[in-house]
Amino acid sequence: MNPNATQLVTLVRREVLRFVRRPYNTFLPPIITNALYFSVFGVILGSRIGSIAGVSYIQFVLPGLVVLGAISDSFENASFTIFHGRWNEYIQAVTTSPMSNRSMVSAYVTASALRGVITSLLIIGVGLVFTSVPVSHPGYLVAFVLVITTLFGGLGVVGGLWASDFDYLTVMNQFILRPLVFFGAVFYSLDVLPPLWRSVSLLNPMVYMVNGVRYGMIGVTEIDPNTSLAVLTGVTVVVLSIDFALFKRGYGLTE
Amino acid sequence: MTDPAIRASGLRKRYGDVQALDGLELSVDRGEFFGLLGPNGAGKTTFINTLVGLVHSDQGTAEVFGFDVEDDYREVRDRIGLAPQEFNVDRFFPIIEVLEHKAGYHGIPRDEARERAEEALKTVGIWDKRDTRFDWLSGGMKRRLMLARALVSDPDLLILDEPTAGVDVQLRHDLWDIINRMNDAGTTILLTTHYIEEAERLCDRVAIMDDGRKVEVATPDDLMARGTDTIVLELADPPRTAPRLDVDGVTDVELTDEGLSVTAMGGSQTAPAIMRELEAQGHTVASLDIRRASLEEVFVDMTRDERDYAEVSA
Repeated sequence: MNPNATQLVTLVRREVLRFVRRPYNTFLPPIITNALYFSVFGVILGSRIGSIAGVSYIQFVLPGLVVLGAISDSFENASFTIFHGRWNEYIQAVTTSPMSNRSMVSAYVTASALRGVITSLLIIGVGLVFTSVPVSHPGYLVAFVLVITTLFGGLGVVGGLWASDFDYLTVMNQFILRPLVFFGAVFYSLDVLPPLWRSVSLLNPMVYMVNGVRYGMIGVTEIDPNTSLAVLTGVTVVVLSIDFALFKRGYGLTE
Repeated sequence: MTDPAIRASGLRKRYGDVQALDGLELSVDRGEFFGLLGPNGAGKTTFINTLVGLVHSDQGTAEVFGFDVEDDYREVRDRIGLAPQEFNVDRFFPIIEVLEHKAGYHGIPRDEARERAEEALKTVGIWDKRDTRFDWLSGGMKRRLMLARALVSDPDLLILDEPTAGVDVQLRHDLWDIINRMNDAGTTILLTTHYIEEAERLCDRVAIMDDGRKVEVATPDDLMARGTDTIVLELADPPRTAPRLDVDGVTDVELTDEGLSVTAMGGSQTAPAIMRELEAQGHTVASLDIRRASLEEVFVDMTRDERDYAEVSA
């Protein structure tokens, strides 16, 4: 392995070990939370709602819950590891090493995306306890999950560099991401909204992610999946470019 | 011509109202043991952080082994091992993994990184703590780990920012031995310290910094030779008042309980002339003791002179 690859693999490995060795902080919470979601929205309320888009309510909300878990954990992973490293200054072991700025960003985003993917699989696993999980378009499902987790890993890097206190991380996750996801058609179909609110919802990027994953799983979408995938890929490239530029400038890392 | 290990030219850095580096010019030869002395706020850590990329200078250039610290940052950082003053260690992992990761960031393959980590921990004497996390180490062990982490990439330039701050005498000597062995093996050392004795014992040359500038660079012996020595003379028949001594280099004469205390530049060169002058005045010198200025006194004099000069200029 050449030195550049060794550097990248080392940082990815460090990042992955950090979350794998702390399952009570990283993997158990989404399992518990989603078991509760499936119990309440799927089993208790779902039995009274009936079918939506030709599938049971529990199967309808499953893709949205996968997206919710994937973006929360990929964003949280990148923002926390960078901010915590800055806060305790141990990120300097990386930033004073000969790693290129691109390798550093790639490692943080890759590990964070991987955590988002693992969370997605855990949520699907929890879903299997309650219902069957259809996979209508596996290629789209994989593509959307990868793009979404990469995008939010990239956004987490920005958040981790911008944050100057732990409060910032809470604000970003609870007050920005979570509302966008909840109003991103996780629990309802856009068809039930009045025309005005349907149009407003289309400005929410989460709608495209939820619909993309829903298309991959149950084969139903309210938005063209190819358009969604193209737009999300474009946004991901822009966010990663911003990450590279911030690391190159030393934003939040140098004086 | 071979490039020096470090070359700084016109380096400036300002934080708000504070001019941390004010046109610093400095050159450190390859293989040299170089000390950086200065009071708090002199700009020592800012300079070090400029070399490793934690600080972007406002003006000027800095090179490490001929590579520019900004344009060729990867080549520069590959050659540097840094033990900073503040503890900045990854708290999530046992210390052996902390060192393995650091070696990996330098492109060292995993198996070799493990070997180097083990070797570095043995070198600094905390091998038995390899599976312990940083927070559970004692203060002295933490200092040892900082040095081990700097060594694990086998650097050409070892930068030590106050490496023995707050450690006991035994550990300080242990760390000196390790650093000296590194230097003997050809590693260039840049050391900042508040312990003047440390610089006096270890360094080939020292730079005295103040207010972001270099005040002086010389060997510890040269610097001490520039200090004012104290010559204490016991006279057989002590006078009631201090005699007037018209000798070049003498700056002060006073009577003390020990005898006649003469303050003079270059005490050993001035002493014979002082004795001749006293004998010419009818005194008999019973004993003579030359107390050489310490590097610490020279350091205090130089940084004080610099401040006095700055105040007068202002």
